[in-house]
Amino acid sequence: MAPKSCALCQNAKAILRRPKTGQQICKDCFFRVFETEVHNTITEAQLFKPGDRVAIGASGGKDSTVLAYVMKTLNERYQYGLSLFLLSIDEGITGYRDNSLETVKRNQQQYDMPLKILSYDELYGWTMDRVVSTIGKKNNCTFCGVFRRQALDRGAASLCVDHIVTGHNADDIAETVLMNIMRGDIARLGRCTAICTQGEDTIRRSKPFKYAYEKEIVMYAYFKKLDYFSTECIYSPDAYRGHARAFLKDLEAARPSAIIDIIHSGEAFEVKDEVRATQKTQQTCKRCGYMSSNDLCKACSLLEGLERGMSTAAISDKGRRKLEAEGPAPNNLRTIPYFRPPTTVTIEVPAASQ
Amino acid sequence: MSEFCGNPAAETGEALMPTKPKFDRTRTCVKCKTNSGNLVIRHSVYCRDCFTPLITTKFRQALEPHINHVSTGPRRGALKPSGGLLVAFSGGMGSSVLLDLVHRIYCANVGSDELKGGREHPRRSRVWKRIHVCYVKTSDVFPEINDQTAQIREAVARYEGCEFIPVRVQDAFDRSWWERVSGDAASSSAEIPVDLNDGDSEPIAALKAHLRALPTPTATQSTLSTLTRLLLLYTAHSIGASHLVLGTSLTSLSISLISSISQGGGFVVPQAIQEEWISPFVKRTPETTSWSGEVRLIRPLREVSLKECTAWVWWHQLSVVGKQRVPISERTIGSLTKDFIIGLERDYPSTVSTITKTVGKLAPKGKSGMRCVLCELPTQQSVQGWKARTSIHSFADAPSPADVATSLPIYLCYSCQTTLTSKSSRSTTSLNSGSLSTTSAPDAMDLPTWAAARLAFGVGIGEEQSATTSTSTNETRESRQSLIKSLVGEFLLDH
Repeated sequence: MAPKSCALCQNAKAILRRPKTGQQICKDCFFRVFETEVHNTITEAQLFKPGDRVAIGASGGKDSTVLAYVMKTLNERYQYGLSLFLLSIDEGITGYRDNSLETVKRNQQQYDMPLKILSYDELYGWTMDRVVSTIGKKNNCTFCGVFRRQALDRGAASLCVDHIVTGHNADDIAETVLMNIMRGDIARLGRCTAICTQGEDTIRRSKPFKYAYEKEIVMYAYFKKLDYFSTECIYSPDAYRGHARAFLKDLEAARPSAIIDIIHSGEAFEVKDEVRATQKTQQTCKRCGYMSSNDLCKACSLLEGLERGMSTAAISDKGRRKLEAEGPAPNNLRTIPYFRPPTTVTIEVPAASQ
Repeated sequence: MSEFCGNPAAETGEALMPTKPKFDRTRTCVKCKTNSGNLVIRHSVYCRDCFTPLITTKFRQALEPHINHVSTGPRRGALKPSGGLLVAFSGGMGSSVLLDLVHRIYCANVGSDELKGGREHPRRSRVWKRIHVCYVKTSDVFPEINDQTAQIREAVARYEGCEFIPVRVQDAFDRSWWERVSGDAASSSAEIPVDLNDGDSEPIAALKAHLRALPTPTATQSTLSTLTRLLLLYTAHSIGASHLVLGTSLTSLSISLISSISQGGGFVVPQAIQEEWISPFVKRTPETTSWSGEVRLIRPLREVSLKECTAWVWWHQLSVVGKQRVPISERTIGSLTKDFIIGLERDYPSTVSTITKTVGKLAPKGKSGMRCVLCELPTQQSVQGWKARTSIHSFADAPSPADVATSLPIYLCYSCQTTLTSKSSRSTTSLNSGSLSTTSAPDAMDLPTWAAARLAFGVGIGEEQSATTSTSTNETRESRQSLIKSLVGEFLLDH
């Protein structure tokens, strides 16, 4: 059988079947459609303006490595006029993060971008290794996720950037839509498909890979021979998320468009006004100044639980009652340094990204 | 060997993994607090006596506030539906329970001496004067499944006062059926150029051709479900029913919600719980407040889980005909979602209820004046542009406005576009026949009668447009025929 020609350029020999569309295409056309779709995502949502300082959340994994490469490529090709930085968070996981950070350091050389590394130990006084040795593996992802979100903002503030971009891909977003419906998290469901999020005092954060399939990111890294770290975290992933991910993979196998279809669904509905009116308004943490839904932000609550030897204090009602029964926090309790957003941040958000 | 394997039943309690108790505190019924419980529903225990009122209350709470055209409260005496009632009956567990409850509450009890109040008390008057039961038969399309019409007819005949209406799924492609149900259009039906079959006017052949042109088993499953829904709605409209009730249980509803979201139906998913359908032939103005032929689709068992339905069937000794499974691949989004949700319900029993409650808090984002010509649900604007940006299929320049104007996708919702075009991961061509394959390649895509009529006349494409677009009736039959051909043409080839 004669080799099939590329469905897009009709000239070159097709060497891959595109996971998103099923089309058989050549390597160059794959690079072109992948990069053009990311560019479309960026321009449609008007994510950047010339002169913006943008931090790329870099873990050394496939998503952030490809993101750094594609951001650099598009910035040069379409003259976005951005100053790009790499920002890494060191969670303190021996045998995992220390190795992946070596990859990020090589990326710094390869892409010629400044790199900032901020560690949990420096910010919170706890490494994830110590958290897990104290509380066990159960719920450790809650601590890591909450700490990382705030650490990224604080690292970005120290770099004086206007914007953080992360490597969340289409699979991550589709999975989050399904999970938020199944566990009734209406607040997160309302915002999980937004390409750009921003609190009153936080730095704009967006996901240029929102419509990029995980399989295509891997394929892109493979064909471009990018240097990335591919080991999964040594601490077990969230079991419930694991269920949702396995289900999504089944759906994708049945009909590859399912991932993008779920994201389209997530963008097509919103929380009813009367329900939104009952949701908590955003405020500022009284202890560290970071955005919060309560008097204390989640990171401060988790840290207080760890410091006072009651790790479930910010996870379950029972834990919280136990902590309250112990009395107020001691004066010498370790706290997170007060958060001050960079003064250069612009608060304007394009209408399309709301 | 026995020293390694042991007999788990003989092991002491300490040696086995502790199992989570299936109920919270006590074995006594949480309702009457006297009887010993017979059934555990999401960690709460109920006795058999309390189970029946529990289910009838859930049923009535889900249905009765929506009986009056404008809601005035759930009091029985004040229930005044605008038209008749159509009960959808598939022979499955949910619809068997539904029919039993409808009959028990609105037919059998009416003359009962047990009811309080005098002879003229409103409680003794019938809420619905006429109740019809409709069965949509699919066995003509799938020779693998048996024709159950006779058993269904017999099952319905057990309930006095309910009239049986059998419908065939191929009626969706049958002009004579369309003329019967389309009301005002019947008079002008001779002019409707819906014959897209290139001489093959047999409805069954047209339906098979339509299904054969679909690219995935998921598309086949969702098309059958859309056809069934529209056949029921048009049937309800044709008999003057104001309400159509479906036996979707809580479990089935959450499966269908997740399945719909996974097929891009996010814009209409809030309506999947309850829908207000207006026939394109009903002339309504924004000022119209009275009932003018709309059909309200309600799922009165939406708070009743599959387990509760099973208990109802068992304790009330209902004989369930059984719904036959349509012989299409197990690897459809619908089947995968069903397996996933039922598995999840086992470990997290509140999940199904959480899903429906969460979806109940959602609303479509943005406005829509359009209805999809295939599924007749509201469509979003600028779906085409979104698709083109996020999944590039071609480097060719954007199509000209003239091309777009005569393109079928602009008349379709996102889900129906996906159904018609989204390929499976294995197929290299867009046309996949599944179990319906024949040696002949499909050379035309047939559309259901309502879609063809809407395309030809522009009826109801946009609610506000319907009055003006019907002027196209002046066009010649030939030109309309070629227009429809050009509209569907892009789905005929691999692209």
